[in-house]
Amino acid sequence: MAASKITSRSTIISLLIGAVFVVLLGARINSLENYTFARVVQDFLNALTLGSLYALIALGYTMVYGIIRLINFAHGEIFMLGSYFAFYAMTLTPLPWAISLLVTIILGGTVLLVLRSLFNLEEPKRTFVLSLVIFGGTFFLLTFRKLGWVEGLTLSMLATGVAGVLLEAIAYKPLRGAPRESMLITAIAASFFLQNFGQLVFGARVRGFNAQTILNKPLNFHIGPETVYFTGILVVVPLITALLLWVLNLFVSRTRLGKAMRATAQDAEVAQMMGVNVNQVIALTFFIGSILAAAAGVMYAIRFGQIHPLMGLMPGIKAFTAAVIGGIGSLPGAVLGGLLLGFIEIYVVSLFPTLSAYKDVFAFVLLILILLFRPSGLVGEDLTEKV
Amino acid sequence: MRDYLLTLLSVGLAALALYFLTVSEGTSGLLSALTLIFIWGIAAISLNLINGQLGILSLGHHGFMLIGGYVTALLMLPARERRPFRTRLLSDWARNHLDLDKWLRGLGLDALANSIDAKFIIALFIAGLAAALLGIIVGAPSLRLKGDYLAIVTFGFGEIIRLLPNAPEVAAFTNGPLGIKGIPGNAGNIWWTFLALLLVLWFFSRLKFSSYGRAFEGIREDEIAAEAMGVNLAYHKILAFTISAFFAGVSGGLYASYLQSVDTQTFNFFVTFFLLVAISLGGLGSITGALLGTAIVVLVRVYGGFLEQPNPAWVGYLSGAVLMLAAFAFSAYIRKARRLRPVIEPKHFIFGAVGAVLLVITIAFFKQPWMQQTVQFFGMRKMLLAVILILIMIYRREGVMGRAEFSWKLIFGPREDIPTDEQRKQDAWLSNPDLNPGLKEDGDDDASA
Repeated sequence: MAASKITSRSTIISLLIGAVFVVLLGARINSLENYTFARVVQDFLNALTLGSLYALIALGYTMVYGIIRLINFAHGEIFMLGSYFAFYAMTLTPLPWAISLLVTIILGGTVLLVLRSLFNLEEPKRTFVLSLVIFGGTFFLLTFRKLGWVEGLTLSMLATGVAGVLLEAIAYKPLRGAPRESMLITAIAASFFLQNFGQLVFGARVRGFNAQTILNKPLNFHIGPETVYFTGILVVVPLITALLLWVLNLFVSRTRLGKAMRATAQDAEVAQMMGVNVNQVIALTFFIGSILAAAAGVMYAIRFGQIHPLMGLMPGIKAFTAAVIGGIGSLPGAVLGGLLLGFIEIYVVSLFPTLSAYKDVFAFVLLILILLFRPSGLVGEDLTEKV
Repeated sequence: MRDYLLTLLSVGLAALALYFLTVSEGTSGLLSALTLIFIWGIAAISLNLINGQLGILSLGHHGFMLIGGYVTALLMLPARERRPFRTRLLSDWARNHLDLDKWLRGLGLDALANSIDAKFIIALFIAGLAAALLGIIVGAPSLRLKGDYLAIVTFGFGEIIRLLPNAPEVAAFTNGPLGIKGIPGNAGNIWWTFLALLLVLWFFSRLKFSSYGRAFEGIREDEIAAEAMGVNLAYHKILAFTISAFFAGVSGGLYASYLQSVDTQTFNFFVTFFLLVAISLGGLGSITGALLGTAIVVLVRVYGGFLEQPNPAWVGYLSGAVLMLAAFAFSAYIRKARRLRPVIEPKHFIFGAVGAVLLVITIAFFKQPWMQQTVQFFGMRKMLLAVILILIMIYRREGVMGRAEFSWKLIFGPREDIPTDEQRKQDAWLSNPDLNPGLKEDGDDDASA
């Protein structure tokens, strides 16, 4: 009884705060004279795109935290890897057949091993079909023509997912059962390792990501005298995000492995007693989180047109903030938090141009405030430590 | 008594060695490495108070060091650096009023103001106080949290402190991204950092074995039990945070003076990571361990430059191959050593496969121009540090020293597990009924009951 009362009171309070916020926002828009409807539309499109990208990255944070209570600091670097994989897939193809064969054997073999262990594909027939598809597909894609962004995105998602699983297997798996602080320190070390590894292997300079696709073609339109700068990517990002979220939701709610994931998130020990292969579920979580991060990385690169090895830092931290805002451990919360953070970032800069220097500070302030005053987030579970 | 004499003797010997290093030729590289070890050692020992002794993971240490660095820089800036300049963002007010020289002369302490060394000590002290104040501001709200949430909040505070100097409103005090240059380089003289380190070592070893230190360790072991024993949790946590922030500020000031310039990139998150590697390597909770870890890490950083020398590209491919094959062999060995039934799973062959492929590539394309061109392997040292940290976390979480401290007893005895004659006598008195009549009656009571 008391609990429901408190819940309703906090709901009313947050609604009131939201209403005050909206009124203030309206007043601010009213007071800005050059803030026309075209700019509202433009900001809305930008915010939706940015928010979708944050949501995709935040899902990886929130899933990993939900399963093993680890803040995966290296998730931003996974995002960076995703964009670089797509960059190389799109610029280096078509490869000479010998190199292509070599890459196919290494990449395809790794992917096959990981997929087999993730999805219980142990029987020989399935393995044979899967290996045929993977080896043949990769070889075909790499050898014969220049890849477009769709194939680049797909290949990069697959490769990054495998990279995430390898990261978990090498750095985090030996620490299963260690204090959470040790795991956090390891995650930070992994993040620094991947940043510098990226600088070493990919080169430290900024590279242009010129995907010559329909996505970057300007499709500007006019509202009254004002122009809205519009490209295909502004629509494609929210659409792909929605598609991936739908698939993820189906996977988590309808499949056996999804059920195993939910069980592990609730209580790993009991899930193990009930016959869930917890190690497999954790690896699967990293796989899915890395896939989503790679999708975000590729689309981020297309949207902003350049990539560099340290590009994962700020989006990673902002996505983590988004996950915390939504309530870390909750999937709808991560999406909500990501969208919210995207809108806040775009509209604060747009409505208060003097504050644009504090854009990055703002994310940290929000993170601290949420952690201090509502650690469970907007829709998250209660995480107060029990004695 | 003997321990004190030995300590004094070793400090004297160290000072003598330092003196000979300063007067002899061609040791400037070693001297600057030692200076860096002393400066980072102070920072590591102060971080060790929170992370090791109090058992709280704090990731905001670079923020405290940054405040110390900027305060020292502003206070110590000589008059010729304070002239208005076109590209300077430093405001006139800050340029004219934040001047230790003026303050001292205003108080009539001309003797102190004329000595740049005395001013440096005062500036370092004020820098420490500013950082300590910030420590209270950061610590008071965030220490209500626990575990990784606390770590993230301190990280957030540290990053905010690092980002703020670039913002236009704050740039009036910090000169924005240009940073402050032309700070007097007192700390370039090794004696400053040596004395500061001695002072810090003395202070922290006294603190560790005082009632406060025991309270901190009680909080680390079990907060609820410590509270039940009458330890005021909030007070002790904030106290430790403040002390730690104070010495972080001092080390930040020393570092700024050593570099003779300070900007926001001097104190980025890598600083905290670097200190974290140092104290994890030395052993969380051990002061001498923290110093040892710092020495190793700084030496890697200073003398690891050969890793980033320009080399032909095939060197990179070859060393990558060797490293991968070594990792494969190591993982196979570990599995063999740990299990009764050695199973090498297919995924462990990935390392081996990648290594073999790199080796094949190196040999096959050795004559190609892209294999012979010169490249520079930037970031190797940071990668090495990251790998060291991951390996420590996986294979030896307590570090080199564990929680033990270096002590003379470790070398010269007496060994505490062998009782002295006096202890033997006492034991005999306690257990021998002929010597202790009270014991007999107790024993009889037990027997009858």
